[in-house]
Amino acid sequence: MTLKLDKKDLKAFLETLMDEYDLFAPVQLAEGVSIYKKIDRPDDVDLSTSNPQKPAKEVFFPQSETMFRYEKAGKQQQMTSTEGVEKKRVILGARPCDIQAVSILDDVFLGKEYKDVYYGNKRNGTTLIGLACNHPLSTCFCPSAGGGPFLRKGSDIFLIDLGETFIVELLTEKGMTFQKNKFFKEANTKEISLAQEIEEKASKKADASVPIEGIDRRSDLMMESPFWDRMHEKCIGCGVCTFLCPTCHCFDIVDEALTNKGQRVRNWDSCLFPLYSQETSGHNPRPTGRERTRQRLMHKFNYFPKNFGRVACVGCGRCILYCPVNFDIRQAINLTSAKGIRKVKDQVDLTRR
Amino acid sequence: MTDQWEPKILAFLCNWCSYAGADLAGTARIQYPPNIRVIRVPCSGRINPLFILKALQSGIDGVLVSGCHPGDCHYLSGNYIGRRKSATLKRFLEYLGFEEGRVQFSWVSAAEGGKFSQVVGEVVQDIKKLGPAQRFVKKEAQGSQGSRVQVNSIKKLGPSNP
Amino acid sequence: MEERSKAIQDRIREKARELLLNKTVDLIIGFGEGSFPLRTTPRFIRDPEKTDRLIWNSFCENNLATYLHKFNKFKVGIVVKGCDARSVIALSLEKRFKPDQLFLMGVPCQRMVDRRKVKRAVKGEILRAFEQGDQIVVEGEEFKTILKRDDFFYPSCQVCIHRNPIQADVLVGDPVEESPLIEIHPEIQEFAKKSAEERWKYFEKESSRCIRCYACREACPMCYCAECFVDSSNPKWIEKSLSPSDLEFYHIVRAYHQTGRCTGCGACERACPMEIRLTYLTQKLNRDVKELFNYETGIDTKTLPPLSTYDMEDKQDFIK
Repeated sequence: MTLKLDKKDLKAFLETLMDEYDLFAPVQLAEGVSIYKKIDRPDDVDLSTSNPQKPAKEVFFPQSETMFRYEKAGKQQQMTSTEGVEKKRVILGARPCDIQAVSILDDVFLGKEYKDVYYGNKRNGTTLIGLACNHPLSTCFCPSAGGGPFLRKGSDIFLIDLGETFIVELLTEKGMTFQKNKFFKEANTKEISLAQEIEEKASKKADASVPIEGIDRRSDLMMESPFWDRMHEKCIGCGVCTFLCPTCHCFDIVDEALTNKGQRVRNWDSCLFPLYSQETSGHNPRPTGRERTRQRLMHKFNYFPKNFGRVACVGCGRCILYCPVNFDIRQAINLTSAKGIRKVKDQVDLTRR
Repeated sequence: MTDQWEPKILAFLCNWCSYAGADLAGTARIQYPPNIRVIRVPCSGRINPLFILKALQSGIDGVLVSGCHPGDCHYLSGNYIGRRKSATLKRFLEYLGFEEGRVQFSWVSAAEGGKFSQVVGEVVQDIKKLGPAQRFVKKEAQGSQGSRVQVNSIKKLGPSNP
Repeated sequence: MEERSKAIQDRIREKARELLLNKTVDLIIGFGEGSFPLRTTPRFIRDPEKTDRLIWNSFCENNLATYLHKFNKFKVGIVVKGCDARSVIALSLEKRFKPDQLFLMGVPCQRMVDRRKVKRAVKGEILRAFEQGDQIVVEGEEFKTILKRDDFFYPSCQVCIHRNPIQADVLVGDPVEESPLIEIHPEIQEFAKKSAEERWKYFEKESSRCIRCYACREACPMCYCAECFVDSSNPKWIEKSLSPSDLEFYHIVRAYHQTGRCTGCGACERACPMEIRLTYLTQKLNRDVKELFNYETGIDTKTLPPLSTYDMEDKQDFIK
């Protein structure tokens, strides 16, 4: 049985959801700028735009997260833990690319060897309600990265927007607990076939031609390649691509202390910042943009696949859209193909480093 | 509450004039409100706007910057340079929405103990009228999501996933 | 308009080729085709045979002067608009490069088109866009819309009064008439009228969107400190978390450090992925500097920036 949720019932549905869960969904901060945020009023939810600027990773791995607080009162030291989570969470309206990215982060933070309690507490028990991507943008390349605009993998519940109503697919056990929800009705055949139509159209649209397949092997010998000499030139070294990337997960831990109390905070960090790799002595093993750009791309396409068996890119296209200088990761990937490598060799005059 | 509230004011005084002026006020037993905390700087031109902002962020209710009169600078032009910084900073902060009077400037020479006490009096009065600083003050850590569990010993905070 | 752009583009290519062939410069910094509609990208050309990759149109939004720091060991030929040229002058005053190290190809600028504004004017994704006379034609899957170019300029371009490069080794187009489209942005005018509390609320709201990617800093040609105050750990001026106060701190100081150095090119605002209005801060500083010290950045190649110098007669009515 295929279910549906009418858009006029959405608000009421969200209200019931919010009784039991902390709801996170895209919220518009300004015209054209949105992020995933904890919802206080169902009206704030904005599912009309495509991907928000900031990816869904923020729900489990906030940009700034207090790890604990400490205070010294007299001779006593007191610590306050902040790792607990009050309510289970629901993420509503994440696109398949963001959901793919969450599973990549799961590998990192909830891997076999290390489990991150801060990430885990938020992640475990979270229900992911995915939203199909009816209109992939020209900058999207999820199929090239093993995903797709209608990829259901990772979602507990999957919604398909038909205009006035959503098709609801309950995919996992967690999703099935919503089966009895009074707002879900049975969809008719017309609606089901419309959903299929939209799916076919969207799947054709997304770019599957970016040669990510095999890039981890291709890039093995690229460490000292002249490729990097030119690649980084236009990069100005800001952190847009890394902060907006749904899979980038580097962080920095600092103590923020006043006289007798403080907190330990974990903040996102970016390999494109010089400070990221600078050592206490002042030495920086990645002194220029060349090394830093290389780190960003090699981590995604070489080191990460070696450790986790898949590339750390889901093809959401945020880095392409928001880069201040139009550094296009697709072009970089293209250049690692055999044809691209030849082109680089022609271009780069090695005597001119 | 407001009756008891006394503003905390940070005064950056130049070593050669204003600090000596404050000293003179002291030795001459001229009274002025005890709300100011003094930081001695080599010259009013030494004031980095960051000093002022850091003070305001830390919860200081008002800032006073005081240096030598024009023409009296120990370093000849330090206070002239400082004057330009002060003028632009003051305008900029007020444009952003800081209340007028949170940050004030004065010239006080080493001989002006009386003026020093008067300036401090005026500044304290202005700030009292404005009330405690609210904008820009860094509040106690905005609680990150999740419950707060009181932990009595540090031991309990060890690795949660052994 | 597109004919004029085309002529400029040809001249840029021709001149770039000549410079590279004569070895006057090591590389050319210009604009190339971007990877999606309404977008160009900074392009670095070393091969005289490849100068046909340089382009010129109304979407050349980046301030290329910011790359001069990266290439400060080279002789560089650079394509400059009015604002870029002013940045170069301002940087020269701060002795960022040797004289004769640069070759400026000045383009009298037609004002640049705000691609975000264009995007918002249509429903659906723009798949093709080009200029046609005074119009921008944008096409998507199911639409073709013709927009008036004049309605879509960047806010900083609307108020620009120095579109002709003040200083250039060669001008690659005919000078344009210097007049602002609007004197002062209505939004900013309105902002200045608000009460202190409302102004602060606005600033709070804008800065709260900040994700601290520092794109505004990196895109700005004038931000080149070896160590930015946010990165300094001793003294530690500012914490790195997303607390509102720290975000405000960053934005106040980033802007204030531009006092008398900002050319108003708007690169910071264009770079911001969260679309924070940043030029309303720097434009205020620029107006103050003009009013107090009668100084405009990057106009005069001799006069020092206002905060590096002084005048005995400077206003001091605010000092007790």
